[in-house]
Amino acid sequence: MKRRLKSGTPLAEQIIADHRDHEDGPVEPGRIVTATPDRIYVQDGNAPTVARLYEQYGFSTVFDPERVSFVFDHSVLVANVDMADRMKDADAFAARLGVDVRARGQGISHVIAAEAEWFTPGALVLGSDSHTCVGGAFGALGLGMGASDIVAAMVTGTTWLRVPETVELRITGTPTRAARSRDVLLTLLRERGQEPFLYRSVEFTGAWARDLSSDASAGLASLGVELGAKCVFVPDAEGTIPTGTAQGVSRIEFDISGLQPTVALPHLPGNTVPLDEAAGTPISYVFLGSCTNSRLEDIAEAAAVVRGHRVRQGTQFVVTPGSNDIYRAAMRAGHIDTLLEAGAVVTPAGCGACVGTQGPLPARGENVLSTMNRNFRGRMGNPEANIYLSSPLVAAVTALCGAVPGVEDLP
Amino acid sequence: MTHISTHRVRRVAGTVSTDDIIPARYKHMHTDPGRLAPHLFEAYLPGFVESVRPGDAIVSDSVFGIGSSREQAVSTLLANGISLVIAPRFGRILFRNCWNLALPAIEADTGDLSEGMTISVDLERGEIRSEGDVIAGFPKPPLFLLEMIASGGLLNRVKPSPSGA
Repeated sequence: MKRRLKSGTPLAEQIIADHRDHEDGPVEPGRIVTATPDRIYVQDGNAPTVARLYEQYGFSTVFDPERVSFVFDHSVLVANVDMADRMKDADAFAARLGVDVRARGQGISHVIAAEAEWFTPGALVLGSDSHTCVGGAFGALGLGMGASDIVAAMVTGTTWLRVPETVELRITGTPTRAARSRDVLLTLLRERGQEPFLYRSVEFTGAWARDLSSDASAGLASLGVELGAKCVFVPDAEGTIPTGTAQGVSRIEFDISGLQPTVALPHLPGNTVPLDEAAGTPISYVFLGSCTNSRLEDIAEAAAVVRGHRVRQGTQFVVTPGSNDIYRAAMRAGHIDTLLEAGAVVTPAGCGACVGTQGPLPARGENVLSTMNRNFRGRMGNPEANIYLSSPLVAAVTALCGAVPGVEDLP
Repeated sequence: MTHISTHRVRRVAGTVSTDDIIPARYKHMHTDPGRLAPHLFEAYLPGFVESVRPGDAIVSDSVFGIGSSREQAVSTLLANGISLVIAPRFGRILFRNCWNLALPAIEADTGDLSEGMTISVDLERGEIRSEGDVIAGFPKPPLFLLEMIASGGLLNRVKPSPSGA
């Protein structure tokens, strides 16, 4: 369902206005209105709770089975009997509802949402996962919600929304060669904190954002929730996603001239420092995956780094493609072969090790470097591990060195 | 309808994520909040869960509940008898989840609320009192959210759509 986004009005307000269920007053920041989503998707960590709530409240139907999808991405290789039971509950529940199902190994919900074109310009998409904000890279208002919100929307076809204030985030300048979109966002979080962005719709503007590749743009948008934003929008070169021309919107400027690649130190994404400040930190587990950086461009970049080299002895390098389609494209392009030849472990597509619901779990006291979006204590399933975050470029070099590299060590 | 309630203040410090409130793996294992309850703040504040009493209010000095969409963070607080959360700011999804599950989430300056203090909170007036004195204020929540509390949560308000087959 393609819609046209106009310039001149905040995008979140346009999309909400276009999806009103009924007239319940003007779409103005701060007001609560009722809207009908184009798509609702549920990930497997919350599907069992959605099933329990359906049972508890006596619901049995969905408003439109064609517009509801269940994606099994967080627990692909289940290694716990309780979780296995919950996944069976969720499988049976999805079959009973007759909704669209994306089985284990098909990929991360937010990656599939782009591939399946649930995320299109002007679409309103609800996901039972905080990183549904990826939708903003495709011009969609993607909103992460909890299980009760999702159940209410599945049953009624509507949801309550507080219309966000919009802030323009104007990026000026050009970062250094090895800095990636995530480095820009996490540096911004470090320097400004969440306060200017909390609850808000953040519209990126400026040439840097406009010229990002689709993969880099999706990775950037995924981090919107770490910034505290309700949603983010990233413009494209074609002008399908216009931003920054709305009247009366406050503007934040952020100059990225000379910005370096970064590493986030444990245990918050905002603990981001320029790479050289973390250089030399020993790392024995590198994870390339998650809805931030698991796309073809990310895998290609890692493969280019490790080609002809070996992963450092004593370090494991785990690569989890974001979707089955990405996995196969990477295979056709020879990237998977290159990674395997270098000694990487390549897993089925999905969320992989990001959230501690499957392995590999980090050991006690182990230093992990990951391309995922957040490094909260215990995130990968062990509160005694230390999780660092970086781009795929830095991650791949780390896998070869067994330690965080300096900028001079990057290719 | 009146919305005055009494609570004991339980302070938490620093930015708290939903992973801090309940680690993800437990929600993949259990859907019953009673099974999640013992793991509240397990890694973030070891031992805290044993000292919680029904009616306690979690009072944060920073952004509370950033990160994942897991509603189980809220159902785990509720399963421990937590009946109010006060913070200067909230993670947006946790904020929704709180009101959806009829746990009031109040945005207020918490500097004058100390550990163990007994407070009474008037949602309609936007006042937090200790020993009769107003020690903090907050904007009155929208009627929509107050009604959510009165009905015991979002799903009590949901009626299946007539178009649902």
